[in-house]
Amino acid sequence: MEAQTEATTEVRKPISAAPLLAVENLSKRFGTQPLWQNVSFTLQKGESLSICGVSGSGKSTLLLAIGGLETVQSGTVTFDGRPVVGGQRAHVEGIGYVFQHYHLIEELTVRENLLLPFSIRFGSKQMPDIWDEVLDLLGLREFLDRLPTTLSGGEQQRAALARAILAKPKLLLADEPTGSLDEATGTCVMELLLRVCQRFCMSLILVTHSAMFAARTDRRMLLKDGFLREQTA
Amino acid sequence: MVGHRWIFLLAWRYLFPKKHFGTFFTWMSTAGIAAGVALLMIVLSIMNGFDTHIAKKLIQINGAIKIIARRPIAKDEAFLENIRRLPHVKAITPYVAGISMMQVGERVALPKCLGLEVSSAASVLPLERFLTKGSLNGLKDGAWVSESLAHECGLGVGDTFELYSPLALEAMRKEELLLPREITVAGLFKTGWAEADRSTVLLPLELSQELYALSDNVHGFSVEADRNCLAEVCRNVNDLLPPGLVAYTWNTLNADFLYILKLEKAMCFFVLLFVVAVAAFSMSSGLMSAVVRKRRELALLRTWGATKTALSLLFGLQSLVLGTLGLFVGFSAAAVILHERNAIVRGLTGWLLPKDALWNFYDVETLPAVWSRQDMLWIALLTLVMTLLASLLPIGRMYKLPFVQSLRRG
Repeated sequence: MEAQTEATTEVRKPISAAPLLAVENLSKRFGTQPLWQNVSFTLQKGESLSICGVSGSGKSTLLLAIGGLETVQSGTVTFDGRPVVGGQRAHVEGIGYVFQHYHLIEELTVRENLLLPFSIRFGSKQMPDIWDEVLDLLGLREFLDRLPTTLSGGEQQRAALARAILAKPKLLLADEPTGSLDEATGTCVMELLLRVCQRFCMSLILVTHSAMFAARTDRRMLLKDGFLREQTA
Repeated sequence: MVGHRWIFLLAWRYLFPKKHFGTFFTWMSTAGIAAGVALLMIVLSIMNGFDTHIAKKLIQINGAIKIIARRPIAKDEAFLENIRRLPHVKAITPYVAGISMMQVGERVALPKCLGLEVSSAASVLPLERFLTKGSLNGLKDGAWVSESLAHECGLGVGDTFELYSPLALEAMRKEELLLPREITVAGLFKTGWAEADRSTVLLPLELSQELYALSDNVHGFSVEADRNCLAEVCRNVNDLLPPGLVAYTWNTLNADFLYILKLEKAMCFFVLLFVVAVAAFSMSSGLMSAVVRKRRELALLRTWGATKTALSLLFGLQSLVLGTLGLFVGFSAAAVILHERNAIVRGLTGWLLPKDALWNFYDVETLPAVWSRQDMLWIALLTLVMTLLASLLPIGRMYKLPFVQSLRRG
């Protein structure tokens, strides 16, 4: 591990011995321009981590690389004991995503939107076992038969959050989930996100601009000048 | 990917969102394909109708099977009985055919003369249906003149004309004089087949035998048989025929003409298929823009485990649904238009043409149309193939989408 990254050694809140996620020496460049290099850290099961940084620092790209969606020039990502091959497969079992733009499919009802990822992974006959609990937790029951376009931004993001967690991923990658919301709604959604992760023992990597939201996670990291550094409290 | 039901649900909802029944794209694509399908079905059905009408006329005029003799042959009753006894044979009648010169006052014409035995000919040819004025029995000692020829020569039932035998020329060479026969018009007829109606005279068999100096011989026989097994009957008849006589079915005799009809239909099918092709590729362009518009959703589907094959199916399925819907609407529209075709054509002809000109020209009382299941299957098959081929363009576009960039840029 390079000297510039300070992440892996200091795990503040170890929950289990074997890390759920291990990122080692991950480097990415666009053409000859490096975006970030030698990024290394680990994440335990149930642990939450925030990545902050200025716009264009490569936070979202890093998140996608961790999820195996983005190719990298060097380094490895190991999730749940298995290597994640960047850009080779679109989907890694056990990883869920929440994006800034909710990406709810406007032609489907909220219910259909929520069940779609579950149907893709597990078939349509099965219902998620945490269906009722998630609906109650996120207050979505009354919106189930409505179309996403009739919901407010906060309601849409809650639906997007529910959609991401219904398949019970072990790791949730959230890319500025409150970026499109006003402060009050954003805070509310963030509360729910953290509560849901805690309730279902999901690990969370949160990319955010907000220091306030970052402070709510177990660990905070800063992506600056192409290097990821852990920030101590 | 475990289940596939989501592909059907999403494809259906992309075309028919919950808030309104079908998007503009859905209905425009359907309308385009439906227009092509309806046009194909209507044109082919009317061509089938005219083909059937023509086939019917050809059989009515010549008989289902014709036995043609290379040189005049005796009208042997035993031979005729043998043919009659063959399975599926209904009737047989002898005929004499040739050209004569006809004179009415100053007017001269060279009609085709057909000598028929009235007693047996009525079982093979629908003589009564052809007759427009006069009586069937009149043909026993008078002549039937085609309406058009009668009109040209100013003849009516009961009038007389002079008919010169072609043998008169031979007689003149021998410095003999063969006087023309004076014949009474016993009836006027119209077959509905322009070639036969232009200039034909039907004569009693005996009179025509005399005209061509055939004594008791004839030029051939017309046979009526079960239409479903004409080829078999024709083979059996040929087996019985002595050398110098050959039996042909009506479609063998008119093979070139029928081939031209088939070719015309095939060309029409080919040309009109382009309407469906244009509609299919216009649908494809709509799906292409949907791929670009929905790139983030598609990227998200990928993060949930949807393979590129599944996403290809999503677009292939939309094409298939639009193609099927276009077929359904197109066939329905064609059925309605064909059902109301006579009213539509009468409306148009009343407006554009002198009344009944079209019906008189084609000798039809209604516009013929035959809905062919085979045509329908071909149209359905080719439409679905074309819509599926057209979906390859958006699928190709989808394969090239930078999914990760779509997610990164929000």
